[in-house]
Amino acid sequence: MTTLGQLVLSGIFIGGIYALMSMGLTLIFGVLRIVNFAHGEFLMLAMYGAWAITKMLGLNPYFAALAIVPAMFLFGAVVHQVIVRPALDKPHLVGVFATMGLSILMQNAALMVMTADLWDVPPIFGRSVEVGPFYFKAELLLGFAVTILCSLFLQWLIRSTYLGKAIRATVQDGEAAMLMGIPVPRIFLITFASGSALVGLSACMMMPLFSVFPTVGLNFVLIAFVIVVLGGMGSIEGALIGGMCLGVVQSVSSYYVAPAYGQMFYFVLFLLVMIFRPNGLLGQKGAATIGIND
Amino acid sequence: MSAANTHQSQSTRFLFWPRRGSQISIFEMAIFAGCIAVAMLGLSQSLKDIAVLTFLWAGLALAWNIAGGYAGLISFGHAAFFGVGAYTSTILFLRFGLTPWFGIWCGGLIAAGFGAALAIICARLRGPFFILSTLAAAEVVRIAAMNWASLTGGPEGLSIPPVAGVTNMVFASKTAYAVMMLVFFACVYVVTKSLEGSRYGYYLYSVRDDADAASAAGVNPVLVRTAAMALSAGLTGIGGSLFAQYFLYLDPTFLISPDLSFQFALLAAVGGLGTAIGPILGSFLITPMSELLRSYLGSHAAGLHLVIYSALLIVVMLYFPSGIAGAITRIAGRRGKS
Repeated sequence: MTTLGQLVLSGIFIGGIYALMSMGLTLIFGVLRIVNFAHGEFLMLAMYGAWAITKMLGLNPYFAALAIVPAMFLFGAVVHQVIVRPALDKPHLVGVFATMGLSILMQNAALMVMTADLWDVPPIFGRSVEVGPFYFKAELLLGFAVTILCSLFLQWLIRSTYLGKAIRATVQDGEAAMLMGIPVPRIFLITFASGSALVGLSACMMMPLFSVFPTVGLNFVLIAFVIVVLGGMGSIEGALIGGMCLGVVQSVSSYYVAPAYGQMFYFVLFLLVMIFRPNGLLGQKGAATIGIND
Repeated sequence: MSAANTHQSQSTRFLFWPRRGSQISIFEMAIFAGCIAVAMLGLSQSLKDIAVLTFLWAGLALAWNIAGGYAGLISFGHAAFFGVGAYTSTILFLRFGLTPWFGIWCGGLIAAGFGAALAIICARLRGPFFILSTLAAAEVVRIAAMNWASLTGGPEGLSIPPVAGVTNMVFASKTAYAVMMLVFFACVYVVTKSLEGSRYGYYLYSVRDDADAASAAGVNPVLVRTAAMALSAGLTGIGGSLFAQYFLYLDPTFLISPDLSFQFALLAAVGGLGTAIGPILGSFLITPMSELLRSYLGSHAAGLHLVIYSALLIVVMLYFPSGIAGAITRIAGRRGKS
């Protein structure tokens, strides 16, 4: 029983960290209606950044976030202006292939510059936190706490600020929003850049837990896709719930079945959700079946 | 929609019978003659290798294009069908001694079954949801192939003994392989061309462009999509078997990788989706370029060929969304007007 409890709780915490990584993706999809296939590579880039700062300045990755998050915001803004914006008024295929191209570009550029070696940072706290009968890595708990804070902040931002109101108006009806004087292209830019900044933050939380290598993004982007679809594309709470579900499925099945099959379970879970509840648990109605991107 | 209507009321010819636009043009004959010449010429081994791969990828990009371009089913999971084809023919040969000449058809059929199943599972999904589901389905197949070691050899993969022989479908000369791949590529092209002018081709266009209107006109979108996916997957499976016969080694991390799925899609997209000539142009331009870059740059700059290739893709997609084929048509059209 303790084992199961430990597995479920660790799953929830690691799932929270995955959720943080997925929030940027779901935010971008919810507003721009574009799936950023290079999302994993954004994560890879930010992880390399966090690693480099840790290595060179001797800071720990959590402090690196102070530099990485604004840098990723800028990077996202540039990518939006150069690649995403020209694709927005074209068939959705263009966006798919352009971001896919960016993903391959970044992956191979990383391979050229950083080689295929794995890099990691030394453990930060070096010990586990004991809660009752359970033990957790301190890094994991911190990452989870940051995820919760971040999702509360995003909720507040979207519900209660003028920017959030403008974003919601853009989502509901872009044309009407434009007529009301909302600068829709700028909203798109800010959303895409903020989504990228969120990936930057999650990279800093993940760096103490995972190694970084050029194709690290592919592993995590698949997880992020599963989470985002599970929770419903465009939903922040959905990403949080989806992340925790996935984390639990992964940790329980890796223990009881085999680690290799753990991955299989969440892809099967993904396909089941797609078959029976294609809008996800909390997604926008009809998003999956009416093809809002066409 | 109107196309589907008129064709329904017209004739009762065989579904796949080419009806118009399927005459072989001089341009096509020139390309085909050029391909035969390349296959037959006494080129160096490394150039022959490039020719073999170019023909194979052209055939596979054409096969992907049947689903992705004509039916609008953008799949990033075709590597699963490729892998299923490769594994089927190889396992039949290694376990039961069945000749690959028979095995490739089994591989194609089983891959077609997988394709049909995937299309039915994802029948309701559109846009990015369909794409992500195909990606996930291919991952399931990859993980199964990696872990079902008794059947697939697991992560170590399977090797085909390099004993040349016609019944083994293993050849000593690369010319034989080049001819084999050229035949595959030509067959897929003929299938594509006959689709274009056939009644079923019009069903595909109508379902791709407006599924509701198509279904109002009496076309069953699920059936049409399933058939397109099965055809595309089956041809991809045959391509996978041929690939296995050429490389003689099956590595699951390569065979069923998302990277490979993207490659099929990218070749077709760069060339021009939904055209018969597009995937060919894509493969003829990109495969030799990326192979040559890879061999010249070697280990000095691992990945540079893919950097160039993907930068090209981004530029083509943003500025020529209809691919090279579309750009050529546009330039030719402009010249015709002036």
